[in-house]
Amino acid sequence: MDYEFKEEEKEVLNSFKDFVKKEIEPVVEKVEEMGEVPREIFRKLGDFGYLGCFFLQEYGGFGLSLIISSALWEELARVSPSIFLSANASILLCANSIYIAGNEEIRKKFIPPLLKGEKIGAFCLTEPEAGSDVSGIRTTAKKVDDGYVLNGRKTFVTNGPVADIFVIFAKTEQEKGKRGISAFVVERGTNGLESGKPFKKLGVRGSPTSEVYLDEVFVPFQNLLGKENEGFYYAMKTLETGRIAMSAFSLGIAQACLEESIKFASERKAFGKTIAHFEDISFKIAELKTLVDEGRLHLYKAAWLKEINSPNANEFASIAKLFISEHATRIASDAVQIHGGYGYISDFKVERLYRDAKLGEIGEGTSEIQRRIIFKEMLKEYGIEI
Amino acid sequence: MDFELTEEEKAFKESVYQFSKKEIYPESSKPEYDEKGEFPWECWKKMGEFGLLGLPFPEEYGGQGASAMMTVLAKEGFAMGGADAGLTLSWGAHTILCGVPIWKLGTEEQKKKYLPKIASGEWIGGFALTEPNAGSDAGSVRTYAVKKGDRFILNGSKIFITNGPIGRVFVTIAVTDKSKGPFGISAFIVESTFKGFSVSRKLDKLGNRTSPTGELVFEDCEVPEENLLGPIDMGFAEVVKYIFMWERSCLLAPALGSMEAGIRRCMEYARDRVQFKKSILKFQAIQKKLVEMKMNLEAARQLVYRVAWLLDKGIPALVEASLAKLFVSEAIIKQSYESLQIFGGYGYIKDFSVEKGYRDARLATIGGGTSEIQKSIIARALIQLSGKDIE
Repeated sequence: MDYEFKEEEKEVLNSFKDFVKKEIEPVVEKVEEMGEVPREIFRKLGDFGYLGCFFLQEYGGFGLSLIISSALWEELARVSPSIFLSANASILLCANSIYIAGNEEIRKKFIPPLLKGEKIGAFCLTEPEAGSDVSGIRTTAKKVDDGYVLNGRKTFVTNGPVADIFVIFAKTEQEKGKRGISAFVVERGTNGLESGKPFKKLGVRGSPTSEVYLDEVFVPFQNLLGKENEGFYYAMKTLETGRIAMSAFSLGIAQACLEESIKFASERKAFGKTIAHFEDISFKIAELKTLVDEGRLHLYKAAWLKEINSPNANEFASIAKLFISEHATRIASDAVQIHGGYGYISDFKVERLYRDAKLGEIGEGTSEIQRRIIFKEMLKEYGIEI
Repeated sequence: MDFELTEEEKAFKESVYQFSKKEIYPESSKPEYDEKGEFPWECWKKMGEFGLLGLPFPEEYGGQGASAMMTVLAKEGFAMGGADAGLTLSWGAHTILCGVPIWKLGTEEQKKKYLPKIASGEWIGGFALTEPNAGSDAGSVRTYAVKKGDRFILNGSKIFITNGPIGRVFVTIAVTDKSKGPFGISAFIVESTFKGFSVSRKLDKLGNRTSPTGELVFEDCEVPEENLLGPIDMGFAEVVKYIFMWERSCLLAPALGSMEAGIRRCMEYARDRVQFKKSILKFQAIQKKLVEMKMNLEAARQLVYRVAWLLDKGIPALVEASLAKLFVSEAIIKQSYESLQIFGGYGYIKDFSVEKGYRDARLATIGGGTSEIQKSIIARALIQLSGKDIE
């Protein structure tokens, strides 16, 4: 057992911290106001190597381990959950699903520009009538002579309004439930594909989300990802890593809340002393620290299990996400509480963090779905049938 | 970063688990031990023979030379096999609180004299720190020691001492220089046969009843000068440094095993229990409880393992140890509460071990430093790290 990063990994993390300080911190507020992440930021993240951190070099990646990658994800999410989310959707959902399902040709075509930040990706799985229950999607893909024709509506698509490359899940066999789902790559500009207006939402306002409409969209055979009817499996595999990344999202927010709380509590005075003097406050901070540390161990362990292809990877990705995301919302709430009135106004970061945190319990599988996954794995582990 | 246990570690944990399940559980789980508050001597002897009682000590002193990680794994496996919580508590006080300070701070003679007897279990050890008026505020102990010729004379009393009524040797904390505050407190190795030592009463208690707890009295107790442990006046600070880290990881490791065993018990019970015409394991409300237990167990395990890893690397782990203690202790209590809830009426009666588990678990946030003390340690460290001073 070894709880330490290697020297070269520490260097990567430190240089990314410098990068975030220099390139990301100054634009955080602007991104929130604009409601989208400027393409320049994608390119900078691409140039640094962040976007390609854990991809293989042959696709323009850097071949870092998932563990150190998750430390980089946490760092970006700590400073800007919105930028993290848009970058995450582009890489961990869009590019990674192409990697997981696609053949060499399609990988080489679509992955490198996403990793460079030249193009932005999106992942279209959820529909108005099918969220947690993926098998209920209604978008259809009808086979025609030289490809498929897609019809339907996707919703809650991160990067929906701005993406260049969409991975879209649709039913190739209506009656087959989850075993009738296939995955396709569709580029912006394809006839019949349109994005809706960005949704107004509670948090991560710097990352645009919208519906995606598919009206008689023709997709050639070569843009089918992997095999027909295997789409559900590809989506779940993608989300396995996606859940680890979403854990990093929540952890970054929790870490930021902890830092802001320590800073505030050791400066703010009440009753003649700093409020850090009061056990109600300092103990709350100690609890936050415990949960953040714990969350990080969960995250790294989940990443490690995925890295070594352990059969427990799926369960631990869910454990990490469930633990960290639910605690992050509580931590954010406590951070606002520590700030009092100042926590409720937008001048202080915790107001935004409080709004941003909630997504962690919903995106990439709700907490309820994580519990379902964990419980199914527990039945196997304890050899129990119901 | 690597979360894998070595093959040796896995095998060792498994062997302790099997030992506990086959050799210890059938005896220590007999209800009369818990009811009467009796110590399971037979189990203790077997633990000594198996080599558990001196695990981390070097082999030359009768130990096994086990790493902190191995010690943690042994304790986890032991509790997982169903061994009684009181027994693991006595083991902790004996090996970690009494044995470790002697091993880390003792002179060659002290080590030779005491460690083999502790390792075999022939002499039971304890740690006498807490006093009626010095609990969380350990620095305010009043028991004092005065040098007289070639011996120290101790006066005072100690309370809540695990193994008090059965112990033969106690690492005892007493003031040697009142003017110097916490840096005027020393540690002594006191044998129960020393003149002036007595156990004034055995305390009846909520849980961990098989582990005897006592109140000790030192009345002009004569301790030979060679039994001073560590440097004079600094013994307390030194002892605390070691045991707080060891205690908060190794002493807590049994919680991991008992949580693991508890989850299995709940899963099996819920599967077999039928209400509303189906197994209650099919209800999401029950599933949710089990998932929380599993999630917290995995979290707790990582925190405890990390402390053991730091200890083995020789990296100070005071804050990490407090984080682990805080989390694990809260988690086991929460689990014991939810377990009883799953068992319902059957959990509330004594037929299943759930009722006992509920009582046993409650000690976790009190013994070895309350949750409040852990938070205070963590908060101080955090605020100091941020460059501010809380004082």
